[in-house]
Amino acid sequence: MHSLEDVQIGDNIGPEPLFLSKDRVRAYCNAAGLAGVPRFTDDELARKEGLPGMITPGNMSAALVGKLVTDWAQPMNGRLVRLGTTYRSPVLPEHHLTLQGFVTQVDHGERTAELDIWIENEDGDRLVTATATVKFPPKA
Amino acid sequence: MALDFDPAIIGKIFEETDPVAVSAQEIKDFCAAVGETNPWYTDEEAARKGPYGELVAPPLFALTFRNGRHFFQNIPRFGKGGFDAGRDVEFINPVRAGDQITLVSHVKEIYEKTGRSGAMYFVTVRSTVKNQKNEVVAHIDHRFMGRL
Amino acid sequence: MATILDLHSHSEASEDSRAPVEAYLNWIRLRRQERPVDGIVLTEHRQFNRDGDYRALEDKFGIMILKATEAETDYGHMLVFGVNEDILHRFDFANVRIPAQELIDEVARMGGVVVPCHPGRPTVGLCEHYASRPPLQNVVAVELLNGGSRRGEDERTAELVAKYGYRATGGSDSHLVSLIGVCATRFEADIRDIEGLVRELKSGRYEPVDFRAPRKAVPRAIPEQTA
Repeated sequence: MHSLEDVQIGDNIGPEPLFLSKDRVRAYCNAAGLAGVPRFTDDELARKEGLPGMITPGNMSAALVGKLVTDWAQPMNGRLVRLGTTYRSPVLPEHHLTLQGFVTQVDHGERTAELDIWIENEDGDRLVTATATVKFPPKA
Repeated sequence: MALDFDPAIIGKIFEETDPVAVSAQEIKDFCAAVGETNPWYTDEEAARKGPYGELVAPPLFALTFRNGRHFFQNIPRFGKGGFDAGRDVEFINPVRAGDQITLVSHVKEIYEKTGRSGAMYFVTVRSTVKNQKNEVVAHIDHRFMGRL
Repeated sequence: MATILDLHSHSEASEDSRAPVEAYLNWIRLRRQERPVDGIVLTEHRQFNRDGDYRALEDKFGIMILKATEAETDYGHMLVFGVNEDILHRFDFANVRIPAQELIDEVARMGGVVVPCHPGRPTVGLCEHYASRPPLQNVVAVELLNGGSRRGEDERTAELVAKYGYRATGGSDSHLVSLIGVCATRFEADIRDIEGLVRELKSGRYEPVDFRAPRKAVPRAIPEQTA
């Protein structure tokens, strides 16, 4: 895959296994200014908020979805220009998750591709869904 | 209980944050946490040969800048509790190491619907992320919801 | 001749979907081997998309496109098929607290039919409301297969269907292009328009069909926290 000309509707993005340890979620919180938010860092305090335990910040899920897109796009010099995420269920750390998606639309005039991406858990439940737009350089 | 709010809050800028400085180390810490290994984002030397000519942050770094508490001080709190429902982000320019970032935010819309947790209100806050040159880095529509 | 329709989908006309109708049709054409649907029903949230005219797309793709509504009631979300001027005059679909029994009875009287969707889902499904209030009258069918259900939700609906003897439908509830047609309803009759769909939902023979790949086996054991 070198350019938009190689991209087709139905192409797979991923799937990639994703395992988020609690320490990795805490590392994200430290890096993103969320270290003081107990529902993202502490099981006991998260349970006091009615959650099953500490959860992954929505922005971390968005960042992981965004990375799946940029990993796919950058070898073709594609640039992520839009990302929309929907948080359907909390993403809990210490689960075997899968990141995956598809190319759903290709516009050769605008030089863009539209993608569907989601994070699913072991049950196949989609916890986070997203759509992304990737812009490609003009045809060589 | 029906949703009740003053429509005058829609579209009104409620916050303009003070500039926040971005260091190369913060970008690297972010990359480490999300497993990002692309040298454009992690290695100053390699980044100089990349498309931006210097170290930049991955696009989703733009979401790490946050509003203060002004939103909750300036509009009435509906009901109790709140959930993060999602984001719609338009990426315009990258964040570069050394940038001074500000957020300008307004309420884009408020509406109600019923979700898995019962009758809910949805609020969309639009934040425009800008750098010290007043260039737009990103537009972020942050959707959150709460129980009515 | 049988007709297979995805009875539940959301296009970009719904506030929480960005899927253009044409992209749905492209996807169906691409995946027709695994998801052999003859048509889709656009069930936009809290509105009837009166102005949406999809005839040119139907002709281009040879896929039927029908329009309905996903309404929000005091017994959860319900699909309203056969929306007409009388129904639009009688109900404001932007209202998220439409009385369900009134909706079911009045829509039937005015020539449509109401099908409660994702009954097994918390709060927005029928099952939870039936646990604390009397069952609704004159329900002809409920959505047994919903492409957006989490594990356990459709199973809960199956118990409801068995208990009350409802007919059962299926729909993808797609908000994403690539999920269109994952669940659908197979009708024995030939359906060509919304009137035919309403007629068959009320009195025809049909069953939900599941075109999803089997849920994959993945390790369920959660390893000890890695240091």
